Amino acid sequence: MSSELFTLTYGALVTQLCKDYENDEDVNKQLDKMGYNIGVRLIEDFLARSNVGRCHDFRETADVIAKVAFKMYLGITPSITNWSPAGDEFSLILENNPLVDFVELPDNHSSLIYSNLLCGVLRGALEMVQMAVEARFVQDTLKGDGVTEIRMRFIRRIEDNLPAGEE
Amino acid sequence: MVHTSLDVVDEKISAMGKALVDQRELYLGLLYPTEDYKVYPSHQLCRYGYVTNSKVKFVMVVDSSNTALRDNEIRSMFRKLHNSYTDVMCNPFYNPGDRIHSRAFDSMVTSMMIQVC
Repeated sequence: MSSELFTLTYGALVTQLCKDYENDEDVNKQLDKMGYNIGVRLIEDFLARSNVGRCHDFRETADVIAKVAFKMYLGITPSITNWSPAGDEFSLILENNPLVDFVELPDNHSSLIYSNLLCGVLRGALEMVQMAVEARFVQDTLKGDGVTEIRMRFIRRIEDNLPAGEE
Repeated sequence: MVHTSLDVVDEKISAMGKALVDQRELYLGLLYPTEDYKVYPSHQLCRYGYVTNSKVKFVMVVDSSNTALRDNEIRSMFRKLHNSYTDVMCNPFYNPGDRIHSRAFDSMVTSMMIQVC
């Protein structure tokens, strides 16, 4: 499948949200919610296709996310850096992000986190495998940074097996 | 000045039919970018037109007292413009018909103009 259609579809989604919500913070929250709803479903497809077993620690999780998941769904392999001393936080560095091909953020949307859907997807998918994490963008090529960096933080293991809520 | 050249472009399109055309016309007695038109017979401005198959028109105004730009240079400049234009169109925040504010487009145009000066 050509990536242009995917990129343009995502772009249309974001601009429509911008028109609907009028302020960037709300759009960011919506993107995160939508990503979460995608993530809780995507994880099943991922586990079925990739056949990876249970990860023993967060480092394994990081590897699987970067080398298997991102490759499978976006065709890119981010690198993993900046591990915290406690081993509960790391960064995913994306040299290029297919979601943002051709995109230039206009000045009136400077606090928009354009690819925030990805953070929601990561959060939702990991929640379904009993990990509560936080994902956030700390660098963004759309804002002038050289690379795009997503910071992943492990919060806790989810012990109670309540069905994942829809947000 | 650009509007009169657009009229000429339209004439030529209807004369030539559908195809990617690259046209050129010379115009003596320039129009200055200010309100009052001054006539300088010594200056020559060449205006080049380019029409895409989606009927988008590009007009390039060149002061030919600078250097004689070769035809294929003009063609490649138009091609670069066309490519950058399609990139601008793909920006989801750009509405077709708006003025182009894209930084990438501006920097491409600036570097192209610096190259020929």
